[in-house]
Amino acid sequence: MEEKIIGILKETLETPSINADSNQQNTEKWDSLNQLNIVVALEDAFDVTLEPEEIAEMKSVTDIVRILSAKK
Amino acid sequence: MKHYIFRNNTIEAFFPECNYTFSGYDDISFIPQDTDGYIWFYQVPIKFDSQTLAEEIQGFGDKLQLVASQIPGNKTLIVLTLEKIWSIKYTTGDFAVRDAISKFNYIAEELASFHQNIKIIDFGQFCRQYAASELIDWKIYFISQMELNLRLASKFKKWWNEQLKSIALKRKKCLVLDLDNTLWGGILGEDGIEGIKIGGDYPGKAFLYFQGGLKQLARNGVILTVCSKNNEADVLQAWEKNPYIVLKKENFAAWRINWQDKASNIAELAQELNIGLDSMVFIDDNPTERELVRQMLPMVEVPDFPDQPYMLPDYLKKLVEHYFTVYSLTREDLAKTEQYKANAARAAEKSHFTNMEDYLKSLEIKISIIAVNEFNISRIAQMTQKTNQFNLTTHRLEESEIRDMTAKGWKIWCISVADRFGDNGITGAVFVSNSGHIDNLLLSCRILGKGIETAFMQKVLEMLKPEFKTITARYIPSAKNSLVSEFYERIGMKISGTEDGVKSYVMSTEDINPQIKKYYSITVK
Repeated sequence: MEEKIIGILKETLETPSINADSNQQNTEKWDSLNQLNIVVALEDAFDVTLEPEEIAEMKSVTDIVRILSAKK
Repeated sequence: MKHYIFRNNTIEAFFPECNYTFSGYDDISFIPQDTDGYIWFYQVPIKFDSQTLAEEIQGFGDKLQLVASQIPGNKTLIVLTLEKIWSIKYTTGDFAVRDAISKFNYIAEELASFHQNIKIIDFGQFCRQYAASELIDWKIYFISQMELNLRLASKFKKWWNEQLKSIALKRKKCLVLDLDNTLWGGILGEDGIEGIKIGGDYPGKAFLYFQGGLKQLARNGVILTVCSKNNEADVLQAWEKNPYIVLKKENFAAWRINWQDKASNIAELAQELNIGLDSMVFIDDNPTERELVRQMLPMVEVPDFPDQPYMLPDYLKKLVEHYFTVYSLTREDLAKTEQYKANAARAAEKSHFTNMEDYLKSLEIKISIIAVNEFNISRIAQMTQKTNQFNLTTHRLEESEIRDMTAKGWKIWCISVADRFGDNGITGAVFVSNSGHIDNLLLSCRILGKGIETAFMQKVLEMLKPEFKTITARYIPSAKNSLVSEFYERIGMKISGTEDGVKSYVMSTEDINPQIKKYYSITVK
């Protein structure tokens, strides 16, 4: 799952260097606008609905893995 | 091509990043010169009170005119029409918003007809492909104020590129038409004047529709010609004798009805009419003929022809819209002129203005400056985390840090802004240390372009004046805050030093002489 998430982030953020430690602070293109592009990409890829509260918590790859794992 | 987009909503995701820059939200105060063209893409705000909304939309029209009058005539301004993508009908008779939208679109259309460099793109054409529920994603809207559904972004980009192409496309001048199985069903030489299928039952009805549409094209100035393998005498007789034929001899500027190859015929037509081959479109049901013309005369446009006569209406529409209208705003809008005049007379002409000052006056801007308290502290902390562009030092703060600052005697104020069209709530904050140093100033981009930032800081300086001899401040550049790199200069502060792009400022409070415009009503709480 983590791999898939990283793949989605790389594509959405057009940042090939994304890895398991990436977060909003260390990734320049991960801004509030791209956050929503990430949400849409994740929702489509994992067939889930992310709630606004969860979206607000998604600040790193680790956060995303945690939130998506809880949904499965 | 670099474009600058005037907008009032979050739309960045709908345009490819590299070629577009965006105005502040509903901010027309700045018109950049170093751009190749301009785009106007406003969306109807989501609001309940239809009267207020209608007035706000009326203001959009005034602003558009203001912008149109200020852009250089050699640069293009592309205006997307306003489209209501969401509304709740509380009563059936309330047309205020609908009328205001129509009026805006009419203003845009009028501008485009008087200025060659102003073009219209019908945003409705995009919206109509989707159901109302697909156009907005409320979750995303509430998070980001993005009105158009983010999921439509790639479809929008594709559509947008087509629109740009059609704007750039040279309008064609001349249509070259085949006759048999193109303008009527059957073959004149075999079926005879009465035997060809035109008018009456299907398929004659379909061909009749096609001919009617082409006749309308001629009325709009397109030259119609014929290129057909037939006996000329037979055709002349058919034009004269068959009562159902709509396109007759007098509708064609020239024709080549003979057994010569069509490429040579078309070249001759071009010569006779003195027009370029690149302004001609050739229509023929026979793929062999089409291929020949494509090969021999690559400058001539040769679209495919539908397999069945009932497909002709769709085909006609595409033909007309692709080659013969450069951009297409609905024609009904033109016909509605009288209706608009009546509506305009009825509506109180409240908010018309012709310059920025009048516009700002008309807004009735109310600024409240509020000291930090239990109700706004979390909002202030949140703003320090989220604001990127109008943020002088990008000093991110937690709620607890703000509490510590207050305990040390720092002055922390937030700003709340409202105008005639609504209340923006708390949209900025300033942090001043106990020694008179402005640690940070930040504002939401949503309120920029109305001089509010300057008025706010002038008031803040005035409030600091009694307590300090000098005020200091800093600008720390980040990847996103170049917008404010010279903000402190603008409010009269002097640079005292620069190191690695970080600018330090100082100002003697004796020099504070705020001249706040009267149309800002400022209250301190």
